[in-house]
Amino acid sequence: MTPDRADRADGAPLPAVLTLSESELAGDAAALDAAWRDRPGLWGWLTAVDHKSIGRRYIITAFLMFLAGGIEAALMRAQLARPENTLLGPDRYNQIFTTHGTTMMFLFAVPMMTAMGLYFVPLMVGARTVAFPRLNAFGYWTYVVGVVFLYVSLFANTGPDAGWFAYVPLSGPQYSPGHRVDVWAQVVTFTEIAALCAAVNVIVTVFKMRAPGMSLNRIPLFVWAQLVVAFMIVFAMPAVATGSTLMLATDRAVNMHWFNPAEGGDALLWQHMFWFFGHPEVYIIFLPALGMITPIVETFCRRPVFGYTAIVMANITTAFFAFGLWVHHMFATPIPELGESLFTAASMVIAIPTGVQIFCWIATMWLGRARLTVPMLFVLGFIFTFVNGGITGVMLASVAFDKQAHDTFFVVAHLHYVLLGGGVMPLFGAFYFWFPKVTGRILNATLGKVHFWLFLIGVNVTFFPMHILGLEGMPRRVYTYLAPTGWGPLNLVASIGAVTIALSVLVFLINAIRSWTRGEPAGENPWDSSGLEWAVPSPPPSYNFLHSPVVRSRHPLWDTDVELPVVTGLRTDRKEVLITSTFDAMPDSRHSSPEPSIWPAYLALCMGVVFIGSIFSPYYVLGGLGLSMIGLFGWGWQSSKGIESELVAVPNGAMVERA
Amino acid sequence: MKPLRPTADAAALPSVTFGQRSMMWWGTLGFMTIEGWTIALLVAAYLYLRQNYVAWPPLRTPNPSLLIPTINLALMLVSIVPAWITARAAARLDTAAVKRWLVLTCIIELPILVLRWWELWALNTRWDTTAYGSAAWTIVGFHTSLLLLDVLDTYGLTLFYFLRRQPVKTFSDTADNSFYWYFTIGIWIPIYLIVYVGPRIA
Repeated sequence: MTPDRADRADGAPLPAVLTLSESELAGDAAALDAAWRDRPGLWGWLTAVDHKSIGRRYIITAFLMFLAGGIEAALMRAQLARPENTLLGPDRYNQIFTTHGTTMMFLFAVPMMTAMGLYFVPLMVGARTVAFPRLNAFGYWTYVVGVVFLYVSLFANTGPDAGWFAYVPLSGPQYSPGHRVDVWAQVVTFTEIAALCAAVNVIVTVFKMRAPGMSLNRIPLFVWAQLVVAFMIVFAMPAVATGSTLMLATDRAVNMHWFNPAEGGDALLWQHMFWFFGHPEVYIIFLPALGMITPIVETFCRRPVFGYTAIVMANITTAFFAFGLWVHHMFATPIPELGESLFTAASMVIAIPTGVQIFCWIATMWLGRARLTVPMLFVLGFIFTFVNGGITGVMLASVAFDKQAHDTFFVVAHLHYVLLGGGVMPLFGAFYFWFPKVTGRILNATLGKVHFWLFLIGVNVTFFPMHILGLEGMPRRVYTYLAPTGWGPLNLVASIGAVTIALSVLVFLINAIRSWTRGEPAGENPWDSSGLEWAVPSPPPSYNFLHSPVVRSRHPLWDTDVELPVVTGLRTDRKEVLITSTFDAMPDSRHSSPEPSIWPAYLALCMGVVFIGSIFSPYYVLGGLGLSMIGLFGWGWQSSKGIESELVAVPNGAMVERA
Repeated sequence: MKPLRPTADAAALPSVTFGQRSMMWWGTLGFMTIEGWTIALLVAAYLYLRQNYVAWPPLRTPNPSLLIPTINLALMLVSIVPAWITARAAARLDTAAVKRWLVLTCIIELPILVLRWWELWALNTRWDTTAYGSAAWTIVGFHTSLLLLDVLDTYGLTLFYFLRRQPVKTFSDTADNSFYWYFTIGIWIPIYLIVYVGPRIA
């Protein structure tokens, strides 16, 4: 639906065609840049609110966490490479595997996927920024506090050591004295706050800031995936935040009894709270990755994706079912048989919507002319690896099999096939695809192919043997094993695979650093892709779009219009964004967007004082809350800066001008 | 570059809107959903723990007192009136009326917050006595943080009106502040029934 042609504010009709001279265009661009760019220098860095600055930092920080988690994985594989190895002792090993899981799930995967959304969603929907730029910055800084806290603790020999899902009673005050589990509980809190801020931002950006004409059935599929995942975050993250902050941490700090059976508490309650979040978490990582695949397949097969509506429906169905599977992590606990059957059925059913999406991409490749570029290779690698992981998932959904394989390396193999195949492979594909947009330069394709093959081989060589090890009975989370078990050779193979993965990531790093500085310039749209993000220069200017775009199809850049439909009249002298109606995306109003601000970083630090301090004394909580009052006041003070005259739509439908 | 074809003029559009036309309303709704869902999960955990007990509240634990919680509930319900009138005045862009009713809202919100202290003790148990006590204290405590947040927002807004730090969009924020207050009070009604009244009828 295209908005009807409206008249100008002064009643005069809009011109049919507007041809602007080069100097007029340059003038507009300079004015917009002056209004939108963040300030220079260190202060500018701390006060930045541009969604691209924050998004880029988020992506780089999350990637550093991927490297840190990878180093921990390499240490574990070195320890397990041969029986009775003495590289890591049991205590160190416990900290390393817990930090590896915590880092990869909470500090790499979820933040990376939300960060990709925070960078690209506004560009893809034709907006100048996100709905709440300061909230976005606050989320990022909160996440950074969590990152720093976890790694400082690890190097201080206070790294969490009760596993990434911190089961009670092991993680409770009786069996985990000291502060290691407290560190885990608070790191989780920081990352949940960050994810929730990102989710609200994405939802409101998609609901209210889409380009005119981008009705629900024209939203790009990556944006659909981000929207669905944002809703999942809203309902999943509170469960673990409640479990870790309001229950586990309070049991440990102020002697509550949530999980203490002696006083009526219940250890299984923790498992319910954790997995009610933990299972949707897998899809929170996986659905955005699927969203990245569609534009890659469309672009390199030169045709619109097959089954747009089916893919949207598959996303929504997956999100619903994702909340109905958590008990399959608890099959080894006394769950009623009827419950087991229900959760088995749900765990098998969820394979269907994912299958639908995979068949849609295969049909697109079949009907189009596929070019085997690096992003496409990663898509094919995803299909191969992920389908393997999906099949072992269906196996584990069966209670009888699950009871045999529970807590063995079979589960480790399954979850790594799913997460590396379903999450990291599409993510690497997306890096090759969108790197030119973010940096203005193209990643080297030859190095990309080396990266791909090393990674694909490495993942399979590392994790395939773990299936067999698991079936042979090797439990997960053991720091060593005896030679007569016969597990030595397969463990050595897995460790050689890990070296291959490390090499592949090294190749990628070299490629990224080299291409960022000396790569081939990309131009606006190097792949001749169809999304709005490719309509702006690479890297995008501070204001994203010189003119607010209007869309008339799902593939605006593949339309063959002679003229570019736009909305005119947004202010160029200050930050102003166009707001559209929720369903049909008709132009509705324009809002001012906040200036750079130090308060998000300040408030994130205050949250650090509150949550880290809560481990030691309630007085830190009070102190931190007191300090955050200053921040809240400053935030409000900045918002309440006067703006000259405003056109107001009062609820009865009238419009009035107010100074 | 292709020539442009203007389809609409944004200068003709309002720069301040109310309710679901405004982004802040949606953001508020988002955080209301998160907080409401957190309370729902806490209540589910409270009821889950109840299965571990023969008696609820546990033996030798008295029922929660009802006097203070009932007075406070009545006060909360009454406080919706000035909040609602404030929102209406904000929608009319009537600064004088907004200031008047915001002050009244501030006056009525304060005793609610003060009574909350005794309301916690009206649970007649401590957080570290039994799991029942932990659950009840956490639910009421979490709700207190929402209450505190909205009271602070009301006081901050009122202050800004009197300091004349008041661009037109503050009216929209004022309406959203009332919107959040309805949620804070609305979600308290089931908590009151489950945590304070529930043990008596169990």
